[in-house]
Amino acid sequence: MSGTRGATLFRRGFAVQLRVIGALTIREIYTRFGRQSLGFAWIVVEPLVFAIPVLFMWRAIRGSHEHGLALMPFLWSGYLPILLFRHLGGRVLFFITANAGLLYHRRVSIFDIFVARALLEIGGNIAAVIASFALFYAIGVIDVPQDLPMFYLGYFFMIWWSIAAALIIGGLSERSDWVAQIWMPYSYMYLVFSGFFYLADWLPPALRNVALCQPYTQAYEMIRAGVFGDVIKTYGDPGYTAFILAILTLIGLWVMREGRKYVVVE
Amino acid sequence: MIRVSGLSKEYRAEGKVHHVLSNVSFTVGRGEKVAVLGRNGAGKSTLMRLIGGVEVPTSGRIEREMSLSWPLGLQGGFQGSLTGNDNMRFIARIYNKPFDYIRAYVDDFAELGKYLSEPLKTYSTGMRARFAFALSLAIDFDCYLVDEIIAAGDPRFQRRSHEELFEKRADRSMILASHIGDIVRGYCSRALVLHRGRGKVFDDLDLALDIYHDL
Repeated sequence: MSGTRGATLFRRGFAVQLRVIGALTIREIYTRFGRQSLGFAWIVVEPLVFAIPVLFMWRAIRGSHEHGLALMPFLWSGYLPILLFRHLGGRVLFFITANAGLLYHRRVSIFDIFVARALLEIGGNIAAVIASFALFYAIGVIDVPQDLPMFYLGYFFMIWWSIAAALIIGGLSERSDWVAQIWMPYSYMYLVFSGFFYLADWLPPALRNVALCQPYTQAYEMIRAGVFGDVIKTYGDPGYTAFILAILTLIGLWVMREGRKYVVVE
Repeated sequence: MIRVSGLSKEYRAEGKVHHVLSNVSFTVGRGEKVAVLGRNGAGKSTLMRLIGGVEVPTSGRIEREMSLSWPLGLQGGFQGSLTGNDNMRFIARIYNKPFDYIRAYVDDFAELGKYLSEPLKTYSTGMRARFAFALSLAIDFDCYLVDEIIAAGDPRFQRRSHEELFEKRADRSMILASHIGDIVRGYCSRALVLHRGRGKVFDDLDLALDIYHDL
């Protein structure tokens, strides 16, 4: 008896939460992109506007191959995860303070706001992945990934990493201003050490072992294994990556929850 | 029932700790209207933000067994860059009320006319207060948090909000931060007097007001 009542309450709570997240997502779209019908298209176009000029410029400067690999698939599979990480991370700085007014609505929690925002960024990023792939495929500079499940797995880990990092960055930025200060240099340095530019195989063994401790480098290895298949040697370890990301996510949830204590509303 | 027990809030600024509220306890029963009295800086607004759930207490508990409005008269809860209509749509979705009903109610009560399709940031303070107040009445809460709302708006609006809040919704609970003795005496059954972070509940309103005036 109490079991079914508990289940009903849970379902009702879940329905409320879904509605709240939906309302927050629509609100976020309106606030960020305006109410014109093109507004929604911006979610897809925005990452593309970043990505396409950069990708073509690289190709012009570096030629069509890098270490014997086709450059365009290499850059494409490297740059779009970078965009997700940087956009999500950048948007969560002082995230709780900026949205504190919404918390007056008792049904809205800070995690609902986070989920709405993350969904929008991730949705936009995935749409951009598809749109840019279609474009590059049409002009013949990219092929369908050799091992699609591996590609999806790698991208899934990239999304997970971006969420965990955003939780940590967003929560910590409420405690101390220097988090925002170091975010900019960090997000640039990330281009260098993340694995955007390299395969673990190209590194000397000692450095490779260090690089592979990083979950995003692991995810890049899996993405590259997916894109290029057996022609390259990769070192991705899904079990290790999932373990590290689970720990980072727990830390992130805790930091975000604790961040609430530091919020002062005017 | 709203039960506040042992509520404390500290703020840290430049290494110093400020105790804004220390160990404040009180309850608000269904239909009960409790006044909060205190000089500027006594912690009234902080108490409202804590009960409203925007800030979290340093220690103590707040149990809420009634639906609770956002604090009327304080800023927040709305998006300035969105229009009045879009803000209403958002609120309607969150609280699962039909938008048409909400719109009609707010339109009638706040008398903002075509301003409802303008961004909220273009509203004057009085218009904003009317909008927030009308919207909270449309949602229909069990307990209203009211922060000096009676002072907002012109006489006609004051009269109407008075009627809505104190006559038509006499059965609802209210936590009312006010400086106005007549309102406290006329509508509240108890008063919480805040002074230097401490809080004390009085059943005798005249005594509470006397103490408040002597602070």
